[in-house]
Amino acid sequence: MSGSIVWVATPKEASRSSGFNQFVGVTRRWWRSSSAGWSCARSASTARRSVSASLVVTPPRSSEELVYDVVLRQAALVGDARRKRAVEAPPAPLRGDLLDAAYERCGEVCAEYAKTFYLGTMLMTPERRRAIWAIYVWCRRTDELVDGPNASHITPTALDRWSNRLEDLFAGRPYDMYDAALSDTVSKFPVDMQPFKDMVEGMRMDLRKSRYKNFDELYLYCYYVAGTVGLMSVPVMGIAPDSKASAESVYGAALALGIANQLTNILRDVGEDSRRGRVYLPQDELAQAGLSDDDVFEGRVTDKWRTFMKGQITRARMFFDEAEKGIYELNSASRWPVLASLLLYRQILDAIEANDYNNFTKRAYVGKAKKLASLPIAYAKAVIVGPSKFAGTL
Amino acid sequence: MLCSGRILTLPPIPRHPSWRFTPAGRIGRPQPPAILKWRPMAARDADAAASSFSSSVDTAAAGDSAEKNPSGFCIIEGPETVQDFAKMEFQEIQDNIRSRRNKIFLHMEEVRRLRIQQRIKSAEQGILGERQENELPDFPSFIPFLPPLTPSNLKMYYATCFSLIGGIIIFGGLLAPTLELKLGLGGTSYADFIRSMHLPMQLSQVDPIVASFSGGAVGVISALMVVEINNVKQQEQKRCKYCLGTGYLACARCSSTGTLVLTEPVATINGGDQPLSPPRTDRCSNCSGSGKVMCPTCLCTGMAMASEHDPRIDPFD
Repeated sequence: MSGSIVWVATPKEASRSSGFNQFVGVTRRWWRSSSAGWSCARSASTARRSVSASLVVTPPRSSEELVYDVVLRQAALVGDARRKRAVEAPPAPLRGDLLDAAYERCGEVCAEYAKTFYLGTMLMTPERRRAIWAIYVWCRRTDELVDGPNASHITPTALDRWSNRLEDLFAGRPYDMYDAALSDTVSKFPVDMQPFKDMVEGMRMDLRKSRYKNFDELYLYCYYVAGTVGLMSVPVMGIAPDSKASAESVYGAALALGIANQLTNILRDVGEDSRRGRVYLPQDELAQAGLSDDDVFEGRVTDKWRTFMKGQITRARMFFDEAEKGIYELNSASRWPVLASLLLYRQILDAIEANDYNNFTKRAYVGKAKKLASLPIAYAKAVIVGPSKFAGTL
Repeated sequence: MLCSGRILTLPPIPRHPSWRFTPAGRIGRPQPPAILKWRPMAARDADAAASSFSSSVDTAAAGDSAEKNPSGFCIIEGPETVQDFAKMEFQEIQDNIRSRRNKIFLHMEEVRRLRIQQRIKSAEQGILGERQENELPDFPSFIPFLPPLTPSNLKMYYATCFSLIGGIIIFGGLLAPTLELKLGLGGTSYADFIRSMHLPMQLSQVDPIVASFSGGAVGVISALMVVEINNVKQQEQKRCKYCLGTGYLACARCSSTGTLVLTEPVATINGGDQPLSPPRTDRCSNCSGSGKVMCPTCLCTGMAMASEHDPRIDPFD
């Protein structure tokens, strides 16, 4: 996590503590569902007391720190997962050809909704490709629950039911064919359930929040909707056996890639989001730059806006740089596709700059030629740069 | 609904806050006697029904009166019914519309589930229900008077179009000059083409009008084909991509067979010579035996953008 956050002056205590209450809820759930790998061996009841004690004694933790706890947990589970797999009962088998048909459908859905991403998956090995498709479809379906055509009818009960389905499929009892594909994936790869649950939590958050007071809140949101995807896919991509870097750093880099992707999305879609009444930019940073929500809704590119955007883009680029370091620690077959996706997404930031920071009316688009050119560059980098030879270089 | 219709013809009571949503209103109030005189019969009948009616009105009057009081609302509009809704403020109307649309949405889902139970029960009791037409929706053709298109129909459509085009080309290219058809006036540039292609000069004898007719027909038919293909593509786009328009996904619990095999351990020590009995099967609880479960994206409508008007597809078809 080397210098990855550009910290704006710390915001008011009141807003921090309100954010903190959210985090408490999140961490409480983690502690309750913690498994043997959790280093912080506290029981749920004492956790509550110690949390209230810490309210008095220690300063509130930032979302960055709390998210990093998840990263630590994921890394710790990597070793446990291998041991656990032998003991667990095998999941209820789905008829062979039905499973293949399910995976194929996942691929079709992926190709339909995310063409560039689909092309990226073509660079992976067939097993990994199918696994990533299954994860993508689950994430997409979850997102459509709150953001799709029927989102107006979604209730908290519906999200709870969706969470229950998630738990069932991890236990080998998938509900429908797409769940079955994901269930098969999590039985073949050591994928943990926590990022999935966090994503559902992020969806709950999106239902009620349309403004973010500071980068801390925005960071948590980005973690929920995009950082989790990075954590989900590291077990599928696999860490190189000869990598000396710690599992934490690889997971941390994957998290950074997710955050970078989400920040890029936000910066690209400012106009689109504002037309739906949503502003995904930190309010305090907007105020610091002399801007307000009204300026965002108005949609005029001023010098203040340009300065503000420059800062935001710089921060997103820092996340990309941090993520790139971790990609070289991945399995050799997985480095190319992940690097390619990083390069492609980073080019969107260049496109925003080329549009003179007009993300209100112009769509920051990376042309096909540029996209194709990134592939050999990514390949070269993936082959030439290998995993770090020394521990602690990340 | 007759009595409620008559009640509605009574003049509306001027504004009372809790009465806003109820078209019928509180009949027990003192009415201006002049009005009652004009409709003596209606008033008497109305009063008789009103006492039972007003009690239901009263119980439902607080807040959600409109929603809990469907018998107060008649689908046939009279002059006063329109007035009642016109009394609402703009925001109220919007709120009402929103709450009703929400209710429709929820009711459709209940109907779907009820229908599933109906099918199960009628199957159990051996009652033959009427077949419901619920296969994939047909795409109405853009061309008037032509039958609707389906993806299976499309192949025949292609075949018909191509054979028509082939037939017209053969007609214009071979039949017409052979028969020396002359349908009108025309030029002779085709002769040069024929001469340059070193084909028998007989072929150049095609009448230009024949040639233009066949050319035009080919053009029109290919244009129409393109229109229909675009139409199909457009309709396909409206389909839910997850369930491909069927509204359902294969149930994973029973592998879309609808039945769960109950496994029981069989002792082989005593009576081990007996052949194994076939395993008992039970209806899958996940999908209620249909082998399919609801697609959560389109909510069984099969449409990419489901609205509350979209009929919900039954799983048993």
